[in-house]
Amino acid sequence: MTFFRPFLKRLGGMAITLVAMSILIFLLVELMPGDAAQRVLGQSATPQAVAALRESMGLNDPVWVRYGRWASGMLRGDLGTSLYMRGVPIASIFWRKVGNSLVLAMLALLFYVPLSIVFGVLAGVKAGKLTDSIISFFGLATMALPEFVSGIILMTVFAVKLAWFPITSVIPIGESVWNNLDILILPALSITFVMFGYVSRMQRSSMISVMNSDYIRSAVLKGMPMRKVIFRHALKNALLPTITIIGMNMGWLFGGLIVVETLFGFPGLGSLTMSAVKTQDTPLIEVCALFITAVFVVSTAITDLLYGFLNPRIRYPGGS
Amino acid sequence: MRRVWYIAKRNPLIFPALIIILFWLLAAVVGPSRMAFSYTAMDMDHQMTAPGMGGHFMGTDSLGRDIWSRIVFGSRSILTIALLTSLFSSLAGVVLGFTAGYFGGRIDALFLRAMDIMMAVPPLVLSMVVLGVLGNSNILTLTLIVSIAYTPATARVARGALLSCKNIEYVDAARLRGESHLYIMFREILPNTIGPIIVEVTARFAYSIMMVASLGFLGVGLQPPTPDWGMMVIENKTIIKAAPWAVLYPSLAIASLVIAISLFSDFLSKVVIRDQ
Repeated sequence: MTFFRPFLKRLGGMAITLVAMSILIFLLVELMPGDAAQRVLGQSATPQAVAALRESMGLNDPVWVRYGRWASGMLRGDLGTSLYMRGVPIASIFWRKVGNSLVLAMLALLFYVPLSIVFGVLAGVKAGKLTDSIISFFGLATMALPEFVSGIILMTVFAVKLAWFPITSVIPIGESVWNNLDILILPALSITFVMFGYVSRMQRSSMISVMNSDYIRSAVLKGMPMRKVIFRHALKNALLPTITIIGMNMGWLFGGLIVVETLFGFPGLGSLTMSAVKTQDTPLIEVCALFITAVFVVSTAITDLLYGFLNPRIRYPGGS
Repeated sequence: MRRVWYIAKRNPLIFPALIIILFWLLAAVVGPSRMAFSYTAMDMDHQMTAPGMGGHFMGTDSLGRDIWSRIVFGSRSILTIALLTSLFSSLAGVVLGFTAGYFGGRIDALFLRAMDIMMAVPPLVLSMVVLGVLGNSNILTLTLIVSIAYTPATARVARGALLSCKNIEYVDAARLRGESHLYIMFREILPNTIGPIIVEVTARFAYSIMMVASLGFLGVGLQPPTPDWGMMVIENKTIIKAAPWAVLYPSLAIASLVIAISLFSDFLSKVVIRDQ
């Protein structure tokens, strides 16, 4: 039982956050100016038609009844229907777009995790030297740039000047993202740029603190080759904070996708969210915002638990 | 002062960073009145002029508008909004974080839970959805929404800073003197935590510029005809092949400003950490 306690506690906290967030998102979007029924029917509709549609959409019910209906629908996997795309079920487009974004996010992870760990370790081992200064400056600079700025720079160089990759990342109709992997490279690199800064800086500082510890000093003093010290002893402990920061940034990654996908025109969750906001498609905005929140909450919780398992020095109170 | 100079010499990048920051500040204050071209004047005879041609230092966009004038004018809004945002969110953060950390117990637990919930949505997503829902953003709504989106983060920093010196003797002494809670929080504790808080304000300044630029890029920032750096990029993205300068220069403007401020904030944190 003691083993499951932190897990259950975490699950409870997660549920509270998600429920609170869903209420907030629902209220926020429902309170937005303009009438949903009016928007569906257009400006030329008669007041009677609008009133009838309001009634059939259930817009005259009190707010909490509407929230209850919406939330129970979400729990059953019924995502509702789009306002802008006249009654198209959101589920029919939503999960495909999420899938596309997932492929993009995975590719970005594949790029930036090894890259930032390698350069972070290098900077940490060479702390204070020129190598470190160059890597640290590059990390700081890329971290500070908004995704679309690094994206534009990549696009100008690799798509316009060199023409190695397409400028836009659209998937031809009827094809899946897997047949068009070349369109993913530049968007994935733009995300890599931003995340590289965060992760490599974290890796560098944890590497420095581990390299200054007593057991590393004794390993060095007993004549162990430096390569062995770094890879067998130091890296094992220096990776822990890095894993945390990668996990914590998973939800953030989905937020960053909005900018990158809009820039490259990639058909994923981000550009779907963007077009939902642009077209004031209330039900779609709610689904997208809720999903991004859920990804963030779940990945943060998993990271927390993982950290507890990987680091024997941290045990939750209650577990012995 | 001597130590600041010492740290500066070991981090020479701070000098170009300061020059860049001063340059943009100057551009924002006196620049717009010294431009050869108006930022809105369209010139259909000179569409997509290459940089350096016809007196257009950075070329023109698809409507023949001078890119350099638009960038200089756009520095005003982005600097204003980012500055106000970093100040407001830090102020709100200090008030909230200090109250929670100072009184502790239930208030603190409630505060932490609320901040957790607020932080469950990435700030960019939150601001984008709210601004998109409100429609027609202006300097006021942008500042307000981005400040709110950043407050949980600043409040946590402020709370942490307060906790680090809450139990020091001078606080106890003030309490025994019978000073009010407000006095202790803002006259005793605040001056002693001002270092980390100033670092937070400058870091927040860099984040705010990133955020305002991204919101402009997503089309939920300032509305045309006000030139906005982020908006310039998305407006001209369709002509990136014919006139790459029209997207590249606004991007580089954002890059230079945001990197310079990050370097400055990084430098400041080095100064403050050695201070303690």
